[in-house]
Amino acid sequence: MRASVTSSAIIHAVLLGWGLLTFSSPTPMDLANSESLPIEIVSDTSQMVQGDKKAPKSEKPAPKPTEKPQTKPDAVNIGDAETDVESKPIPATKPKIVEAAEAPKQSEIPVTKPDPKPEIQPETKPVPTPATEIAPEAKPKQEVKPDPIMTAINNDSKPAPTPDAPKVEPTPQAEKPAEEAFKLPQNVAKPEDKPKPAPAQTATTPERKESKETPKPTKTAPTPSKEKNGIAEEAQALLNREKASGGGQKRSTDQTSLGAKTTTGAGKLSQSEMDALRGQISKFYNPPVGIEDIANPIVTIVMKLNQSGMIVGDPVIEASAGGSGVGRVLTEAARRAILRAQPFNLPADKYDGSDGWNEVRMNFDPRDL
Amino acid sequence: MENLAVAVQTSDVSLWGLFWQAGFIVKLVMIGLLGASIWTWAIIIDKVLGYGRAKRAFDRFEQIFWSGQSLEELYRNLGDKRTTGMGSIFIAAMREWKKSFEKGARSPIALQMRIDKAMDVALSRESDILAARLGFLATIGSAGPFIGLFGTVIGIMTSFMGIAGSKSTSLAVVAPGIAEALLATAIGLVAAIPAVIAYNKLSSDAGKLTARMEGFADEFSAILSRQIDEKLAPRA
Repeated sequence: MRASVTSSAIIHAVLLGWGLLTFSSPTPMDLANSESLPIEIVSDTSQMVQGDKKAPKSEKPAPKPTEKPQTKPDAVNIGDAETDVESKPIPATKPKIVEAAEAPKQSEIPVTKPDPKPEIQPETKPVPTPATEIAPEAKPKQEVKPDPIMTAINNDSKPAPTPDAPKVEPTPQAEKPAEEAFKLPQNVAKPEDKPKPAPAQTATTPERKESKETPKPTKTAPTPSKEKNGIAEEAQALLNREKASGGGQKRSTDQTSLGAKTTTGAGKLSQSEMDALRGQISKFYNPPVGIEDIANPIVTIVMKLNQSGMIVGDPVIEASAGGSGVGRVLTEAARRAILRAQPFNLPADKYDGSDGWNEVRMNFDPRDL
Repeated sequence: MENLAVAVQTSDVSLWGLFWQAGFIVKLVMIGLLGASIWTWAIIIDKVLGYGRAKRAFDRFEQIFWSGQSLEELYRNLGDKRTTGMGSIFIAAMREWKKSFEKGARSPIALQMRIDKAMDVALSRESDILAARLGFLATIGSAGPFIGLFGTVIGIMTSFMGIAGSKSTSLAVVAPGIAEALLATAIGLVAAIPAVIAYNKLSSDAGKLTARMEGFADEFSAILSRQIDEKLAPRA
C-alpha cells in the first residue's frame, strides 16, 4: 500500500507540476482589433426633437434659425429655399443655367445663389405666373401654426396682403417673434405679395404653371439629341444637374435648441399617456346594455384639440355603429363621452406635429368595457 | 513564497496563483480534494496490482491443486508460507480437517459443517481484503463533485462580496475570484471521475475473484465431503 501511495503522490506531483507550467500564463484574449469609436451623444435616439447637436437645451425645440424666416406652411426641411426640397444647399461659385430634363424655373434661379439678394425677388413679381406658382403654398401656411383658430387665420390672411407693400424686406420678420398666431400670417404675407392672388386664382394656377414649363424641356431636350444619340444621351438627359438650392422651405426664427436633424418619436404620446387619455374618456363612456346583437359596435371618432386640451369644433365620427337604433345610441354615447371628458390634460410639448395630439382618433368598443 | 504572494497582487491566473488567492475554506477544500485524489489513485494502483497478483496466485494454486498432488502434501507445502485467497481457504479447511481427525472426530456431518464454516470465514476474510478501501472510491466518486462545488460556491460568494466591497463590477475584478472558485470544482471532478470509473471496474473485478474463491470453496468442500465419507463410512 505504501508503494502505491508513494507512486500516486508522485504521479500527482508530476501532473501538478505540468499543470503549473502549462496553465501558468493563459493567453490573454486578443482585444487589439477592436477599435474604440468616439461616441458624441449617448442618449435615446428613438426619441429626438429637431434641433442642433451642439446647441444648449431649451424649452421649445427649434432648429437653427434660417436666414429667411418667413414661415412657410407644410414644409419639412430646414432652409431658405422657395420650395421645400430635401437637398442641402451647395454654395455655387457661378450661377449657371442648369441643363436638365426638368427646366429650371425662373423664380428658382436666384434662389440657388448663396446670398439671397432682395433685388431678385421683385423680378419674379412682375411675371404673373410665378406668383400663381407659389399660390398653393400660401394656402397651407395656416397649418404651421394650425392650432389657435384656423378660420381666424383665413380671415386675417386675406386682408393682410392687400394693404402691405409688396417690397417688404424679410429682415424685420426675423427679429419679430412669431409666437402670436394672429400676427403670424401677416408676416408671412408681407415679403412678396404672393398670397394676394392666391385665394383668387388657386384653381387656375397649376395649369398655367404647366404650360410655362412644358416648352422649356422641349428646348433643352432636342439639343443633345441632335449631337449624339443612343442610350448614353438619354441617361445624360435624365441626369438631374440642377443645382441644389438652399435646403428646405421650413423657416425658423427661434434660438437653436439641442436636438437631432429630424424629430423622431419624441412628438408621440407615450403609451401611458395614451392610456391616461383613454381612461379619462372611458370614465364618461356609458354604452347601453344589450348591444350583443350589433355586428360592428366600434365607433371611431376624430377630435381636434387645442393646446389647452379642449375640443375644437365638432368631433368627426369616422365610423359609426350604425345609423339607427342601438347603433346610433352607441355613436352618441361615444360622442358624449368625448365631450364630457374634456379638457384633456396632455403634455404640451407633444401637441405639435403629425404625431402630436392636435388631432386624436379614438376607437370606442363597448365590448371592451 | 513571498515572491508568489507578490505576484498575486497583479491578479496571477496561474494554477498556483489561483490556489494562493483562494480563501481559507476554498483552500481547505482544494487541499482535501487533492489528498482525496492522491489516496484514490493510491487505492487504484494498489488494487489493480493486487488483483493482478491475486489472479495469478489463483491460477497457480488451481494448477497445483488439480495437478493430482495429495492434499496432505500440499498442506505441508503451504502451511509454513503466508497465503492469500484460495490458499488461505484451503489451509483453513485442511487445518480444521486435521484437527478434527487428530481429536478423533466421529460425526461426518458435524465435521463437514465445521469445515464449511472454517472455509466460509476464510472466504469472507479474503473477499473483505479484496474489497477493502473500494468504499472510499465510491465515496469520493459521489461526494467529490459536491465538495468541489462547495468550494466553488464559497469562492464565488467571496468574490461577489468583494465586488460589493469594492463597488466595481468590472469583469477583471470578478474573473480571478470566479476562476479560483471554479478550480475547486475542477479538482473535485479530477478526483471524482477516476474514482467512479475505478470503483466500477475494481468492484466487478473483486466480485469475479470472490466468485472464483467461492467456486473453489464449494469444490473443495465437495472433495473433503467425499474424503470424510471414505474415511468414516467403514467405521460408522
